[in-house]
Amino acid sequence: MRIEKCYFCSTNVYPGHGTAFVRNDAKVFRFCTSKCHKNFKMKRNPRKVRWTKAFRKAAGKEMTIDSTIEFEKRRNVPVRYDRELVQTTIKAMKRVGEIKARRERVFFKHRMAASREKQKAHRKKALEAVKSKSSVKLLEPVSTTTEKEKIKVPVKAKSALIQGEGRSMGMEID
Amino acid sequence: MGRLRRSRTHKAQRDVHRASRTRAKTRDLDQIQLIDLDPKNRAKLEAQPINYEKPGLAQHYCVECAKYYETDAALQSHWRSKVHKRRLKQLREPAYTIEESERAAGLGREDRRPTAVASSEIMVDAV
Repeated sequence: MRIEKCYFCSTNVYPGHGTAFVRNDAKVFRFCTSKCHKNFKMKRNPRKVRWTKAFRKAAGKEMTIDSTIEFEKRRNVPVRYDRELVQTTIKAMKRVGEIKARRERVFFKHRMAASREKQKAHRKKALEAVKSKSSVKLLEPVSTTTEKEKIKVPVKAKSALIQGEGRSMGMEID
Repeated sequence: MGRLRRSRTHKAQRDVHRASRTRAKTRDLDQIQLIDLDPKNRAKLEAQPINYEKPGLAQHYCVECAKYYETDAALQSHWRSKVHKRRLKQLREPAYTIEESERAAGLGREDRRPTAVASSEIMVDAV
């Protein structure tokens, strides 16, 4: 028994769920739902469909380089049952899950901060374009100060959670 | 307002349904990009032996579109067509494979010895 991944949206496919398509070169395509199967039959590229994991990873919407993601592996040699091992593994899974959630939150925050900056610049540019075009004087919005305070995100100068900050993202394993 | 469209309006879609049959399936983009476009395989596909079952005795084959043509003129005009050019554009970017779907899901491949991995997984809780 093995939890497979959907070919289209990359979610888990549990035993007894979903459908599989075996191509004539013996490649197995697994689908979690009929929605994913239909999209495959329409020959859509998952990298271009916005609700798939492949899109989100390719477009920088989610963390791609992180050591918390690298624990899940396909293993072809089964491990002998060991009570101790199961206990420690479950404990580790919980801990890794916590760390991953925290990193994801930080990643999201930074992504949103960057996009907000971009949006602000874009709006400013559009406003100036309108101003220069029309002879009508536009009033400056007065109550921008409160908004500005909201926009400010407390960003630490150097965080280990942001990629490419000079520090490695590896988790210490001793 | 209720339902505006009438039911049973799919009569004219016969060819659409037929094209989506499994037996009408041709080579997928990843197969073409990773296997067929290799110069050795390409030469083989372009010089196929005479096959009475295939259109044009399998003598005029477009490798990119995985399609047989009846005559050389038809193949030439296909190469100039929009369909073919669109296909070339699709083939220029890397094909989506099962491995990529697994990578997107965060599923890696195990390349180390299983014993070493087991011991490193136990030690995670020390982090």
